[in-house]
Amino acid sequence: MFKPTDIIDLLAANVRQTRNPFGVPASRFNTWWRDAGGSTRRPGDALLFTGLMYQAIPFIEATTRYLERLEDSPWAEHLRWGRLVPASLRGLGLDYLTAAAEKKKFNGILQTICRVLKKSQVGFFYHPEMDFYSGILLYDLGDQEGFLRHARFVARTLKLHGVQKIITVDPHTTYALKELYPKYTGESFEVTPYFTLLHLAKEGGGNGQPPVVLHDPCFYGRYLKLAEGPRQVLRSLGLEYVEVRNCGEFTSCCGGPAESVSPALSREILERRAAELQAAAAPVVTFCPICLANLLKAGLPVEDLASLVGRTVNNGG
Amino acid sequence: MALVNPDFAAELQAYGVDTALECFNCGTCAAICPLNYEHFPRKMIRYIQVGAKQQILQQAQDLWRCLHCGLCTRTCPRQANPGELILGLRRYVVAQSRRGEHV
Repeated sequence: MFKPTDIIDLLAANVRQTRNPFGVPASRFNTWWRDAGGSTRRPGDALLFTGLMYQAIPFIEATTRYLERLEDSPWAEHLRWGRLVPASLRGLGLDYLTAAAEKKKFNGILQTICRVLKKSQVGFFYHPEMDFYSGILLYDLGDQEGFLRHARFVARTLKLHGVQKIITVDPHTTYALKELYPKYTGESFEVTPYFTLLHLAKEGGGNGQPPVVLHDPCFYGRYLKLAEGPRQVLRSLGLEYVEVRNCGEFTSCCGGPAESVSPALSREILERRAAELQAAAAPVVTFCPICLANLLKAGLPVEDLASLVGRTVNNGG
Repeated sequence: MALVNPDFAAELQAYGVDTALECFNCGTCAAICPLNYEHFPRKMIRYIQVGAKQQILQQAQDLWRCLHCGLCTRTCPRQANPGELILGLRRYVVAQSRRGEHV
């Protein structure tokens, strides 16, 4: 296990310098929208707010691979000096180490979300300059000062742009904007996860897809009690799913949150959850980028809810 | 020897730790915690209750093992909110560390 305060200081320095914990300027990795067909802002439309989570997963995975090698080695001690390297240099190094295929895969999920929202005739727009990292990792790790500074900046910027309604795509950003921002920044938004807005019943018909097993992320299943939303989407498309014992409000953690301070602990928790899901003998579907990336590491056949929905709509429509 | 500080729980309120005294140490949180690790998080809550500040600082690294999965909070029979208490202790330790106190 790394010394948590070393990791926190490194991440906090990244957020201060680049407004995200990866140290890569958002313009370098937030590129999914270029191939998403565009959307025009109209009065009353909601802002699609990705929180930079899906597009960041390939960077998180590249970082974790290196942290895994360093953990409990004599080199772990030197991690704290990393914050002395300019964030832009750290970020460029990380960018170089991240596979293009992975970037394409996770960008593709966001493009699919955009497509199914349009098919559902949801009024929304996207503007990369208004899409920020929420600061949730700083909050989770206990850097309250860093979280507050960043969250206040994000909330203020969105309010200055007149944003009232927000559509989110991942549970961590949803929790931050829905629960933490009103409490800690004093600013409130109407926050809705994308899957609760989908109306695709006439488009698909299951198309003989095999049943899937659902992995509920902790924040959707337990904290926000939104586990029913994705099930409703699957039912409306005629897609079958099975449940594992630990699901919904009592879902098991995938181990993802421990990744930044102990990849070894993260792996241990992951293997336990993977065994629970494997018992269902069905492909796994989840709706959180962190869970998705972590479950993929366990070698499970797993995909994001958006990918399954997009494919079903394509085949049926 | 551990020194106890009855005012410690009040000191922690500035970090959002305000439900520790609700806990009656039943151990449900430790039983359901996926870490399955040395009576975590019950042990930390007990330390808050008796004001064993040094024990918390000495074992601070364990606070970051918590996955913030929320199972302990969901099942706590006293609504003592163990998950949020651990998060509050992290804030406390980070603040101490930044003030130069040895953690």
